[in-house]
Amino acid sequence: MIGSLGRRFNLLLGELAYASGLLFAVLKESLLFFRHRQVGFRVFILQILFTAVEATSIVAFIALALGALIIIQGNSILPRFGQGKLLYTLLAIVITRELGPLLTAFIIIARSGTAIATELGNMVISHEIEAYVAVGINPIAYLVVPRFLGVTVSMVLLTVYFNFFGLFGSFLLTQLVQRIPFREYIGNLLAALAPADIVSSLVKSVVFGVIISFVAVYQGFRVKVSTTEVPQIAIKAVGQGFVLCILADAVITLIYYL
Amino acid sequence: MPPLLELTDIVMSTQDYVILDRVSVSFAKGASTVIMGPSGCGKSTLLKVAAGICVPDSGEVLVEGRSLTRLSDTRLREFRSSSGFMFQDAALWANKTIFENLALPLQLHRQELSPGELRARVLGSLARVGLEASAELRPAQMSMGENKIVSFLRALILEPALLFLDEPTPSIDHAALEKMMYMIREMKQRGCTIISVTHDAHLASLLANDLVVLKQGRVLAAADLASVRRSRDREVIEILSQVLSDAAAYDTDLLDLLGG
Repeated sequence: MIGSLGRRFNLLLGELAYASGLLFAVLKESLLFFRHRQVGFRVFILQILFTAVEATSIVAFIALALGALIIIQGNSILPRFGQGKLLYTLLAIVITRELGPLLTAFIIIARSGTAIATELGNMVISHEIEAYVAVGINPIAYLVVPRFLGVTVSMVLLTVYFNFFGLFGSFLLTQLVQRIPFREYIGNLLAALAPADIVSSLVKSVVFGVIISFVAVYQGFRVKVSTTEVPQIAIKAVGQGFVLCILADAVITLIYYL
Repeated sequence: MPPLLELTDIVMSTQDYVILDRVSVSFAKGASTVIMGPSGCGKSTLLKVAAGICVPDSGEVLVEGRSLTRLSDTRLREFRSSSGFMFQDAALWANKTIFENLALPLQLHRQELSPGELRARVLGSLARVGLEASAELRPAQMSMGENKIVSFLRALILEPALLFLDEPTPSIDHAALEKMMYMIREMKQRGCTIISVTHDAHLASLLANDLVVLKQGRVLAAADLASVRRSRDREVIEILSQVLSDAAAYDTDLLDLLGG
């Protein structure tokens, strides 16, 4: 029993040491990326295309739906308590500070996190990573950093996009059900939106981007010998990505209110 | 003269078992060494450690007397640009075309080549084995044998001075095999140092100046062919006979055995 606990603890320490080493290598190579950009720049652009551009429709759909729901619910409940103006504060907080970055992160985890983990896992199995090493290409610089930076940049872009659609696009959708004068909506919304909300949203998007891409890469490289490991690590990349993003969200929100 | 490549006390293990157990072996410049042993004895791992693809748990790989893990970026780049590695399972990059698979090492190490020269070199290389029409295909669109030939061409594309071949011959058809043998002979004549893992007696007889015999991660014999020929070590002879699938090998001259 004690022996088994000890082995597990040792294994955990080993994993932590490996993850720390990998993170250090990724951050170091990220700093050098734009100096060596000829090697992985195409992969970086393709990653942004896949993660950000191809996800715009689903992000817009969710942002519109969420924004419209908040406006409709808020407009029907809050005025009863004489708090109709709180709708705009609610919109700013829920969309910009909380659900905007978090839902965008969930979409990216489901699309790109799994794709990266699966792709790298398959490359490990088929010895493609070793083939890169054999010809003198650093897999961290060529495979990991463009994906790491691509996902992080995409996360920021998609969060801004989500916020835009959530705050402004949903207004248009609401007009179909409930008429609110545009000037009134925009004026109240801008008054409720503090710079700290935007900063918080951007900080969260950067942190989530780093978490999602690093977890996916870490899990991808954990594949060792069999293709049956690939779906397992994809599931782990999703689970760990969700949990770590929610934890990071809670920590950043706590810091915001301190 | 120091050996080109020297491995000292290499240990490599997984959680469950030891793959290489204090392996020490050296490879002379210009010589061709064949590594033999039963399946799963650590031959491919030894080759990858020697090529600096896998990092051992302990021990050291020396390239012309310098530790491979402590080479400067420039020296490591020189080592990579002067060596080629053919993988047992081809290990072509699945998301790239055959042309791109061959072009990438050139783009990295021969930046002085113009796009036209690079294209000519890649297509010329493919033409030597009759695969020039497959340049725009992906590895998944070709047979395993064709993938292995492309992997062989990728190992040769930089005209390396040090060539690692991991089981180069299985899955390859007779005509392509003849061309491959010709190209290997050519590399040997040019003075290329070749380290090969093979079960193929014909290739071994064509290549071997030196022989390394492995069993369960340990080196049983590592010497020039003539010395191994004189060896009366029963275990060595037994393993070679197993490897070459020749039951009558116990009383057979080793050179005859390698000659197929």
